[in-house]
Amino acid sequence: MKQTEISSERNSSTDAQNLEPWTNPTVVGKPLPRVDGYERVSGSAIYPADLILPDMLHAAILRCPHPHAIVKNLNTEAARKSPGVRAIVSSADPEGKLVIPYPWWVPEGPPVLLFDQHCRYQGEEVAALAADTPYQAYDALRLMKVEYEELSHLLHAQDALKPGQPLLHNTGNLVRRPDTYQRGDLAKGFGEADVLVEETYETSCEIHATVETHVAVARWEGEQLTVWVPTQAIYEEQKSLAATLRLPVSSVRVISQYVGGSFGCKAELSKHTLIAALLARKTRRPVKLALSREESFLCAGNRPPNVMCLKAGAKKDGSLTALEFTNLGAVGAYADWADAAGWAAGSYACPNIRTQDTEVYINAGKARAFRGPGAAQSAWALEQMIDMLADKIGMDPVEFRLKNVPATHPRTGEPYTSIELRECLLKGAEAFGWTKARVARASSSDPVKRGVGVASCRWITEGGPPTTVIVTLFPDGSATLNMAAADQGTGTKTIMAMVVAEELGIPLQKIHVEHADTGTTQYGKSGGGSHSVMVYAPAVRAAAADVKRQLLEIAAGELKRPAIELSLKDGKIVPVREPGQPKNLSELKDLTRREQIAGIGHPPPEPKGRLIASFGAQFAEVEVNVHTGEIRVIRLLACHDSGRVMNPLTHESQIFGGMVMGIGFALTEQRVLDDHQTGRMVNANWHDYKIPTAKDVPFDQLCLTIDPKDAECNSAGAKGVGEIGTVPTAPAIANAVYHATGIRVTQAPISPMQMLALLAARREAR
Amino acid sequence: MLPKFSHVRPSSLRQAVQQLASSGSHVHAGGTDLLGCLRDGVFGAEKIVSITGIGELRGINSREDGAVRIGALTTLSEVATSPLIAQNYALLAQAAAAAASPQLRNQGTIGGNLCQRPRCWYFRGDFQCLRKGGDTCFAINGENEFHCVFGGSRCYIVHPSDTAPALVALDARAHIRGPLGMRVVPLGSFFVLPALDLARENVLRSGEIITHISLPPLAPGSISSYRKVRARGSWDFALAGLALALKLTGRRVDWSRVVLSGVAPIPWRSSETEKVLLGRDLNPRTLREAADAATRGAEPLSQNGYKVELVRGIVEESLRAIMESHPETPSERT
Ligand SMILES: Cc1cc2nc3c(=O)[nH]c(=O)nc-3n(C[C@H](O)[C@H](O)[C@H](O)COP(=O)(O)OP(=O)(O)OC[C@H]3O[C@@H](n4cnc5c(N)ncnc54)[C@H](O)[C@@H]3O)c2cc1C
Repeated sequence: MKQTEISSERNSSTDAQNLEPWTNPTVVGKPLPRVDGYERVSGSAIYPADLILPDMLHAAILRCPHPHAIVKNLNTEAARKSPGVRAIVSSADPEGKLVIPYPWWVPEGPPVLLFDQHCRYQGEEVAALAADTPYQAYDALRLMKVEYEELSHLLHAQDALKPGQPLLHNTGNLVRRPDTYQRGDLAKGFGEADVLVEETYETSCEIHATVETHVAVARWEGEQLTVWVPTQAIYEEQKSLAATLRLPVSSVRVISQYVGGSFGCKAELSKHTLIAALLARKTRRPVKLALSREESFLCAGNRPPNVMCLKAGAKKDGSLTALEFTNLGAVGAYADWADAAGWAAGSYACPNIRTQDTEVYINAGKARAFRGPGAAQSAWALEQMIDMLADKIGMDPVEFRLKNVPATHPRTGEPYTSIELRECLLKGAEAFGWTKARVARASSSDPVKRGVGVASCRWITEGGPPTTVIVTLFPDGSATLNMAAADQGTGTKTIMAMVVAEELGIPLQKIHVEHADTGTTQYGKSGGGSHSVMVYAPAVRAAAADVKRQLLEIAAGELKRPAIELSLKDGKIVPVREPGQPKNLSELKDLTRREQIAGIGHPPPEPKGRLIASFGAQFAEVEVNVHTGEIRVIRLLACHDSGRVMNPLTHESQIFGGMVMGIGFALTEQRVLDDHQTGRMVNANWHDYKIPTAKDVPFDQLCLTIDPKDAECNSAGAKGVGEIGTVPTAPAIANAVYHATGIRVTQAPISPMQMLALLAARREAR
Repeated sequence: MLPKFSHVRPSSLRQAVQQLASSGSHVHAGGTDLLGCLRDGVFGAEKIVSITGIGELRGINSREDGAVRIGALTTLSEVATSPLIAQNYALLAQAAAAAASPQLRNQGTIGGNLCQRPRCWYFRGDFQCLRKGGDTCFAINGENEFHCVFGGSRCYIVHPSDTAPALVALDARAHIRGPLGMRVVPLGSFFVLPALDLARENVLRSGEIITHISLPPLAPGSISSYRKVRARGSWDFALAGLALALKLTGRRVDWSRVVLSGVAPIPWRSSETEKVLLGRDLNPRTLREAADAATRGAEPLSQNGYKVELVRGIVEESLRAIMESHPETPSERT
């Protein structure tokens, strides 16, 4: 394949690989607007759902309405004869038995058949068809006759391993062997503690609720398949599609130039993408398959619900002595992750720890990675637990956290390339007016109580190879940046163009970004795990530096000066000794003759024996009306160590976006299943599933940063920021609610309904 | 996906009523509720009769007798921002402003708001429930966090409208045009409990159109307010709400209307609360007794007991605010 050839050829250009982070950047670090902002805001950006290809058909999927059922009989005759219908696929076809591969981060699981007659969740695919118009497709779906045998369903993780429960897979309901981690001596740790607390926390199943639903457009040209799909992971989808369809990888092209929100749910091959490809192959016409909002609530991933039992001990001086954290998570009907406990073992310096994660299947849509997967749920429990301990020994929660900030990674003992958690807590508390806000509580007669809360967070990020980026420079001083990275709305395109501008001294407007297309870019890691900046910024920089090296060599030959006496400034060659006589690139004859310089870059390997992690602390102030249960977030303040902030605007939107999502996780969002009856989701729509609106988000939001000047993490000095912003928000809000009311709400979300019930229970207990 | 239907847009009321005579036809005003119902298959339609071409259904104006007339096609935004409404019926302006979201208020009409179908997620979802002609109310043993605590029987919906309780509290009347001519129905008797009829939420017969609402003048010096509690800040129906209108002398209540939203299949007028308040001074004890009266007879389901607390909370809170902004009744000082 072309990408491996290129990488082996260029591996020797190591000078560009060992760059030190910039000391005085002129473009990087500036609050520049997005390079594709106009397209996104004006509506001229073409998302996959906007594509209209000649002769294109529209597909729709018939889905099982029951959470657990066997398809006894499927009759598609009437649908086949319905106007406009061009093709049908179902379990009756050989393609129906195709097995969708799990993404690389889910190492194993029961086979996922395209159309399984044993339907394990509401919305499981039963058949699909393509018709001339979307209306014809949906009309025809209604003519499909299915006979289901309904099976009893399992909806709660707590029931999954009990005898007599329905079994989802013949391997049982346990996803994998429970993952246990231990250090120190737990009993000894509890023995040394002056105070002990025990509590059970629960999080609700949260849906990604991306504004753009999932969609795929597929087109075949001979044996060559092109798929337009909003995805974080073009190469992952390419590989999975090729494997499923038994095609050479090079015969599959995946394009994802605009993504309307993903948060982790658009990083793996989905059935609808495969279905679009199959129907397109059957009909020899392009096929578009767009999921409805309801379908995306049911079948496109979620943050799994967790039940977390914690016991922790601390000394009077605030040092943690022991933590036991047992988590039970429900991944849904097929394998994924629902861990939470293991995360906690890496958060604070605590000598004695035991964590256990158990994951089970239930009859509901499968989980997918969700912004800070595991970490957000873990923080909901752990950060409230820390508050309870602080409260019990009468110590300020910020001080308590400061006491337990680890020097190295608590699980492995490895040092971090940088860790400014302490400073995040201190600077954040100072800016928030924490100490004052802690004492200033409302008068006891006022039903509206005010409170403040804090939580901290950490997110491990890994950059490094394999990834190949190409930067080409033209004699007119314009450049093209070619990379695999998709821009999920995080600003990746903007930041990478800024890196080119920084390195080559050319204006952003002269840089074209060609990206997220397996047909035109080289292999690059997917956008996940908050690592896009860590993978791509060093790679782009290396590619640009390679261009610069070649350019200066050309200039050196022409100007008869050693290359080291030349520099590149504002798109001109400047002799160091005669800065007043710059030369335009177009004046370099050799450059004009070559037409273009191409530079290639890879991210250098990760530093050895060091971990890279981002850190942060968030502070929340809330008002709780104890007569009505209403909770209002009055202000939020974040202070984060994200390494170098590449662009304060995109950094801030990651943190703010994360905090908004955290408000939803804390206060409003929850998948509701019809528990005792049908087992179906009752709120698979925008108004019953409540994401925060503008009125739920405080006007007073602030994002502060601390730059650790990390020279070790990578040549950009930047760490990841995509996920961490949502991790501490919900527990900070819960802690503030406790501070305001004295009620510890352990179950998310803290709705007015729950708040009122808890307030009433307390009144009765008194 | 929407079902197949024909669409007509008559320019006069007479034509509209004629068009509606055929079975399976529905009035289409702003369409914000109707189209959602059709798309979700809550009910079907043969014909959609848009009334947006009928000019006389629009606008707010005051009449010589002091009453105010609101055309059925007046949008919720227009109701919420009309100075005439704000000055005379603050409660209604607040209720309209508290409904839905800005886009929906710009499109949704007051007529449609009164006639919108319930938001019960079983009714709206893919469940063959009692109200849709099935044989089960899924809310009884199911997810009933948002269902009614008053007035339920066999079916446990809540009425979704915010303007309806306000209009009931203001003694408004609906003017209705149908095949048999005009009739006028006080909003207080416009809505229908499930015990009376499971299939509809109001007294409109097929082919009838609300042409306008009329509001009698409130006694001078009356005060009114609408308080709504919801699970998120906007774009959300009431968990419970309180439409309140009072006439006070000092702190003594001479007259009151107490109507709850979000707790019953119809706007829930609490005459008992009104009785408690009548002739009494607003003081902590009256507030408590009023809250008791407002919650008396509540029959919560398994998950909506919080609504009883909530009603108590908003009744006390709203009355306390009024109490604190009014001087004590003169006779009390002596
Ligand atoms: C997401 C969402 C959230 C909402 N939140 C709230 C809320 O918080 N509070 C609230 O009060 N409302 C809320 N609504 C409801 C909204 O206010 C109503 O949909 C709107 O007012 C209806 O007006 P319309 O003109 O669009 O009615 P349409 O959709 O056109 O009609 C609604 C119904 O009334 C009938 N109808 C309409 N006009 C007349 C008439 N003049 N005579 C006889 N029948 C008529 C129609 O046949 C139809 O059955 C919400 C709606 C949505 C979609």
